[in-house]
Amino acid sequence: MQSRRSFFKTTFLATSLLALTCKEVLALTTPLEILEVVQVDLFPQNMISNANAFAYLSLILKHSRVTQEDKDYLRNGTRWLNEESLKQYNKNYTQLSKNQRQKLLKIIAKESWGRGWIKTVLGYIMESTLGDPIYGINKNESGWKWLNHESGLPRPKEALL
Amino acid sequence: MSKMYDVCIIGSGAGGSPIAYELSNAGFKVLVLEKGKDLKEKDVNKDELAVSRRDMFTPKLQEQRHIINDRNKDGSVTRYDGAEYSWSFWNGSMVGGSSNLMSGYFHRMKPNDFKLKSVFGEIKGANVVDWCISYEDLEPYYEKVERLIGVSGEVKKHKFLEPRSTSKFPYPKLEENGVTVWFDKACDALGFESIPTPRAVLSRNGLDRNTCSYSNFCGSYACATGAKGSARAALLQKCDAEIVTDAFVYKLESDAKKITQVHYYDSDLKSHTVDAKIFVLSAQAIESSRLLLNSKNEFFPNGMANNNGQVGKNLIFSAGGSGQGRFNFEDLNEDEQKELMQRGLFFNRSLQDWYEYEDNNQAFKGGTIDFLFEHANVISRASREFINDEGELIWGEELQKKIHKTLTTSKVLSFEVFNDWLPTDECFVSVDAKAKDKFGVAVGAINLWGHPHDLEVGEHLAKNAVKVLKEMGAKDISYSISSAPPPNLVAGGCRFGNDAKTSVLDKNCKVHELDNLYVTDASFMPTGGSVPYTWTIYANSFRVADVIKKDLI
Repeated sequence: MQSRRSFFKTTFLATSLLALTCKEVLALTTPLEILEVVQVDLFPQNMISNANAFAYLSLILKHSRVTQEDKDYLRNGTRWLNEESLKQYNKNYTQLSKNQRQKLLKIIAKESWGRGWIKTVLGYIMESTLGDPIYGINKNESGWKWLNHESGLPRPKEALL
Repeated sequence: MSKMYDVCIIGSGAGGSPIAYELSNAGFKVLVLEKGKDLKEKDVNKDELAVSRRDMFTPKLQEQRHIINDRNKDGSVTRYDGAEYSWSFWNGSMVGGSSNLMSGYFHRMKPNDFKLKSVFGEIKGANVVDWCISYEDLEPYYEKVERLIGVSGEVKKHKFLEPRSTSKFPYPKLEENGVTVWFDKACDALGFESIPTPRAVLSRNGLDRNTCSYSNFCGSYACATGAKGSARAALLQKCDAEIVTDAFVYKLESDAKKITQVHYYDSDLKSHTVDAKIFVLSAQAIESSRLLLNSKNEFFPNGMANNNGQVGKNLIFSAGGSGQGRFNFEDLNEDEQKELMQRGLFFNRSLQDWYEYEDNNQAFKGGTIDFLFEHANVISRASREFINDEGELIWGEELQKKIHKTLTTSKVLSFEVFNDWLPTDECFVSVDAKAKDKFGVAVGAINLWGHPHDLEVGEHLAKNAVKVLKEMGAKDISYSISSAPPPNLVAGGCRFGNDAKTSVLDKNCKVHELDNLYVTDASFMPTGGSVPYTWTIYANSFRVADVIKKDLI
């Protein structure tokens, strides 16, 4: 958490010029659009689809028991990723080819912020892949079937939001 | 408007519920104030997202948290705000408290645990004292817990088996996973004494509760059958004590000799007052000291019962750590693979061979090692696979394959080491000067330090646990012994003793300075033994209930 905060302080200053020069380009993409693409880059398409992972991330961004700081971190990570995309390729992340996006993810995974952010997104992907379908995720229990997992009983009758 | 009760109990966990059960069943008017909700068997489930990922049973840290003052090696102290660092010391805010969420690994303390100083002598830098009661004083109550809470197991003779007034547990041992046979063979080969772990889980219907359903999700989850011996299922649901939920007690009032009232906030932050003849504090160790320290008046300017400055002192946790080894399909035949993946059945094995041991001609108080399969939480298990053998973060198909292989063709056997966390001047509860919770009340500050002796003992135990895993053929064996405090294994802060200058409570857990205030959670413990605390908390609370009953009659 400490490194996360110090990164906030330094990055906002360091990237303000870049953001200004790329203002027009940045306006074309949103954190949610980037998250939608990143999820497929981080876990296979069919798994993501069955998990309903994108809808789940939208739920997380409104969840009563996810802190504002964690929500901000999820959102800000997409901005930092996009800033890195502009720096490396002068294009938004969503406009890169699949290979370029993978190369970029490998670049940010070498930075502590990038490694932490990718792990956070992967954590939420695991939740949507393997959580209870009551949340609108893990369709047909496909994630559980994939790992021969049997849920504990009783299952929840309503989602905790 | 204030009502008058015979007994008002603050906190409904293992420390408070035996008092509520005994006194209300004896015809007294008992009120229990509980900060959390009343969740019964029908209200709970095995939702990993809610229970383990979103922490539904504990307060939001932005609303209620602790300040942690961590002592560094050079003696300096680093202040951590629990909300900022996601460092939580909450366990279970609900009727029955954290006993709802325990795994129920039940071990009694041993006779020598009650006289550590006499048997093992002083340790420099530690405040070790003998207890003011003996094992013999508590034994009848350990036995009572076996019957009333429901303990299942098999009494097996071993070097450190404590004296028992009965030859058997009232409930036979739970069904076991076949891998326990591998474990027992390994222990035989090494000359270690494998012990079936007693559990506070019913192995057959009894006590008007259902038997265990072997749901595979026990620890961290509330029990939906009632088999687990939570304070709620075993005691509060079987007595007429009045329970007020969403009641956060923020102040005790007193005159020079008696508590006169307690004040609590409801969920709308409206204040209420309770009058009673006797008050029992059992809000869990850290919060009980915090409430006393926050309750200042002209008679107790340093906090209730704190004219000797002892409240909050000598906070202890369970020292030790944990370790693990992995069994892979490629090393096993087909039958062994099936045994390994048997679902729901318990592992339930412990070692106490080194409860006391000698090293370099010096006698050491050692501890307990419990063995168990890794938790069945599938999201957590999958999330542990993000790093490959080279230490690199992975994703995509590589991650997908790794998760599938690990979770479907291998299983981890873990161990947990429990040894004494020596009480010291540097580990204590205080009240933070700045931070306040959502009620506007100063939050508890946890001042942390672990004595180096604790690590030495923990290492000794862990190395022996590793020998068993190696003998069993486990791979990727690792362990970690540290001074990191387990938040669910906390005690002390209001130690009992015969000397009113050096202790907060007398031998009956009544505050020395007040005639009608008792503290019955784990706060009373001057040392913790080398076992999980819950059985001892229950037993002591039943003991104190008998004392209060005599007082009231």
